[in-house]
Amino acid sequence: MTRHHPDSLTLMEYSAGNLSEPRALCIRLHLEQCPECRGRVDTLDSLGAVMMDQQPKVSVSDTSFEQLMARIDEAPEDTSPVAEAPKVSPLQKLLGQDINDLPWKRQLGDVSVLDITDKFPDQHDRVVLQKLVAGGKAPAHTHKGDETTVILQGAFSDQNGVFNQWDFVSLDEHDEHRPVAVGNEDCITLSVLSAPVKLTGTFTRLLNPFIR
Amino acid sequence: MIAIKRSTHATVKERPVTTLDQKPAKAEGRKDPWGVLLEKVGKHQDRAAYQALFEHFAPQIKYYAISNGIANHAEELVQEVFISIWRRSCLYDWRKAAASTWIFTIARNQRIDMLRKLQRRNAEMAVETEDLWQIPGENEDEPVTSLHRLMSERRIRESLGQLPEEQITVIAKVYMEHKSHQMVADELGIPLGTVKSRVRLALNKLKVILQDQNV
Ligand SMILES: [Zn+2]
Repeated sequence: MTRHHPDSLTLMEYSAGNLSEPRALCIRLHLEQCPECRGRVDTLDSLGAVMMDQQPKVSVSDTSFEQLMARIDEAPEDTSPVAEAPKVSPLQKLLGQDINDLPWKRQLGDVSVLDITDKFPDQHDRVVLQKLVAGGKAPAHTHKGDETTVILQGAFSDQNGVFNQWDFVSLDEHDEHRPVAVGNEDCITLSVLSAPVKLTGTFTRLLNPFIR
Repeated sequence: MIAIKRSTHATVKERPVTTLDQKPAKAEGRKDPWGVLLEKVGKHQDRAAYQALFEHFAPQIKYYAISNGIANHAEELVQEVFISIWRRSCLYDWRKAAASTWIFTIARNQRIDMLRKLQRRNAEMAVETEDLWQIPGENEDEPVTSLHRLMSERRIRESLGQLPEEQITVIAKVYMEHKSHQMVADELGIPLGTVKSRVRLALNKLKVILQDQNV
């Protein structure tokens, strides 16, 4: 189903554990739906394991293993086997409600936005949900680099093709595009932008992927 | 797998490589020997198996913590990783991941979690570390990918031995020092594009890059 994948370098930064939380969330949401990229991340995780194995080793303290066993014996309730966690989407956990019912702010024409940066307090990226109403058009616009976008619902099309649910959108800064929400659902995206966001023009809060 | 590991070491001896040369029981066919131990821990809380895993992986994880800049918490990270291994080993399935890959992901997740807790200004984390870095679809049966997963670590060991030093250096900084590609470029004094092309060449060799990907 999904055709537009994150690039391998980004998956590598994910596997290495180097992405900011919101960027990791975008990858995680895509992985949930994309066996191909899961396979790639598995391979990258194996690369991590081999790297770790080929680096120097540092002896642990003599009592380290004893401490470990003491902890297991003394606090069995904190060290008991875990059950498989129930599958709750991290998005659901984060937002606590259906994305369609969020307090969307109408921005311009068919576009609404919701800034959820405050859900990620200890990092510097800006995190924004955007909604283009079904059948709606966003004004023509261009993009700036270093942005991650994943489609959470619906689909849009532009001159580069159709982007469906869970697709990754990466646009070149020279690309001018004019997305149209296709299908009968509102198209909702999650975008992570490097802060500080440059505010230009009359509309100071115009954002990707629909407008900036 | 063990035999391959030796030959890999031989070809990359100019880099710091493992000095530990413990070889647990001979691999049961395809089954990875560390995976056998992990299963014993998961099924029977086997402490001897657990200790054998500890002796092999704890020094790797301690170095991982130090190279990641949390030397003051290195012993603590080792403890947290092994508690997590103890608790999660019942979920380990040798058909789905090599034991060392599985342990790497636990070490990575615990490292992220520890850094988040150390840097946290707010009491609550809206999303748990595991929600972001635990790969979904662990439960499903994907026989084709299972075989793929099992083979990939062996293939990576073989392929890594053939990569130029400059590519491995970049990968090591990304994985062991949690540096972004930009930070690696700054540190090595080379353009970002050069770092990215080295990584791409390496990932190509490791067959991570999709053919249809225009990057
Ligand atoms: Zn994908």
